[in-house]
Amino acid sequence: MSIVLLKKTLKRNWVLLAIFFAVLTMYLTIMIYMFDPDDIQAIISMVELFPEDLMKAMGFAGFSDITGYLASWMYGMLMLAFPMVYCIILGNRLVAKMVDNGSMAYLLSTPNSRNKIVITQGFYALASVAVLFAALFGVGVSISEMAHPGLLDIGGFLRLNITTMFVNMFVIMLVFFFSCLFNDIKYSTGFGAGMPILFFLMNLIGGVSEDAETIRNLSIYGLYDPLVVATESTFVWANLFYVSGIIVFFAAGVAVFNRKRLPI
Amino acid sequence: MIKVEDLTLTYPSGKGIFNVDFTVNKGGITGYLGPNGSGKTTTIRALMGFMRPDSGSCSINGMDCRNKATQIQNILGYIPGEISFFDQMGGDEFLSFMSDMRRTKNEKRKNYLIELLDLNPKGKIKKFSKGMKQKLGIVAAFMHDPEILVLDEPTSGLDPLMQNVFIDLLMEEKKRGKTILLSSHMFEEVERTCDNIIIIKEGQIVTESDVGALKKAQRKSYLIRPKNMDLSWNIMQNEGFEATKIAPDIIEAYIGGDDVDRFIKAVAGFEVESLDVRHQTLEDLFLEFYSKGEN
Repeated sequence: MSIVLLKKTLKRNWVLLAIFFAVLTMYLTIMIYMFDPDDIQAIISMVELFPEDLMKAMGFAGFSDITGYLASWMYGMLMLAFPMVYCIILGNRLVAKMVDNGSMAYLLSTPNSRNKIVITQGFYALASVAVLFAALFGVGVSISEMAHPGLLDIGGFLRLNITTMFVNMFVIMLVFFFSCLFNDIKYSTGFGAGMPILFFLMNLIGGVSEDAETIRNLSIYGLYDPLVVATESTFVWANLFYVSGIIVFFAAGVAVFNRKRLPI
Repeated sequence: MIKVEDLTLTYPSGKGIFNVDFTVNKGGITGYLGPNGSGKTTTIRALMGFMRPDSGSCSINGMDCRNKATQIQNILGYIPGEISFFDQMGGDEFLSFMSDMRRTKNEKRKNYLIELLDLNPKGKIKKFSKGMKQKLGIVAAFMHDPEILVLDEPTSGLDPLMQNVFIDLLMEEKKRGKTILLSSHMFEEVERTCDNIIIIKEGQIVTESDVGALKKAQRKSYLIRPKNMDLSWNIMQNEGFEATKIAPDIIEAYIGGDDVDRFIKAVAGFEVESLDVRHQTLEDLFLEFYSKGEN
């Protein structure tokens, strides 16, 4: 890994991270303040006003405390959708954009191997997602303690953030892989954005009814159940799946980039 | 030493380079001449290790260009044909970034080059003019004082004054024993700097020779406006020069490289109002070589 390049990548991309962090912090804060521990039944009945299938599609499942409330309302959809957009933008910027516009030629005209350069970029992708979720965890805990002292199950909320972080790391590695594979930004964006969006839609459709459940299970979100992660204090096997996926796509991206012809 | 052996690299479109074979010796400048799309940049991509060739090989100082690409970069300076930087960076920032990536610090050399090229590296690269970007690319390629230089159309975008400065820089580097491959589509530039010229067309090397031989082979056209047309015309005819009257008062004479002296002496025999050399374009030169190749 090249520290010089990592610093430069950070300098070029921290604003993007900051924007997404700010937006998600805003949502998280509003969600936490909207929670009313004395009247949890009111929220549940409000949910019941909407068609059940729609709520299920949005990932709003039944819950009984603030941890479950955040897991289903915030992490069921928003914490996948917004970071996904971040992953698509960043993943394409890190490799494909530089090949497409030719600036990669400058990086490779320095005595740093392709491996080293692309591993640095991939590391930044993973590290930035980790920082995002670490920061959101911090925000979630602080705001909850301010608004509703003692109510949040911090252990459960931590597990929830870890698993959600892995899911998003999986997404960014998928985008990163396509970014390494294609020389043309058109294709890398097409696949890099198309695949995660497709999976996300499969997740939504699959939530609507029991029959459509298979569709959801075929997507990368099939193993992701935020409410279970947050409320049951057991090791989540899904983590293992997502971590393996992260490793596989990272390695595949690096390998394919190392071998391919670069028209720069 | 840059060595290219029987190199073939084709694109899915069918274009590419075919059985390209040449050597640039240590301390020499070789011009790599060809029209746009002839395969100059493709050859350089193979030399830089950006693309693995279909067959054949290329090496720099004995190191294979693809497998040892990283090590080669320690001794290589490169100017890409199409310069594109990280657009958000400033010029200064870019140069120090490149030094850091190379783990070299040669402020003296960098400042010398910046001064020589009259470059102001302040400000965002995005806002630079084409010429400024090109200068920045030149500084980035020369500032770590590399042994080998691979330059892909390095003077494009530079004004004529700067082109001369750059040519002086090349001559200076040559004196210091650098090995240089200079790709270009301008014959004049190559003629002034190179010991050797390779001409490539449609992916194949058409000719490879030293500049002297090429100059001899090259015929130039001279436009003479004599005071006395009939007298001059007779002299030209008697001397046996190939000439035509392209206007009532202008003679165009085609003179080979080894005939120039005789021509000048013949012209001295009559009164001349003006004498112009019509620059031979690369196309003319190509035509000459192609017609030769066909015979």
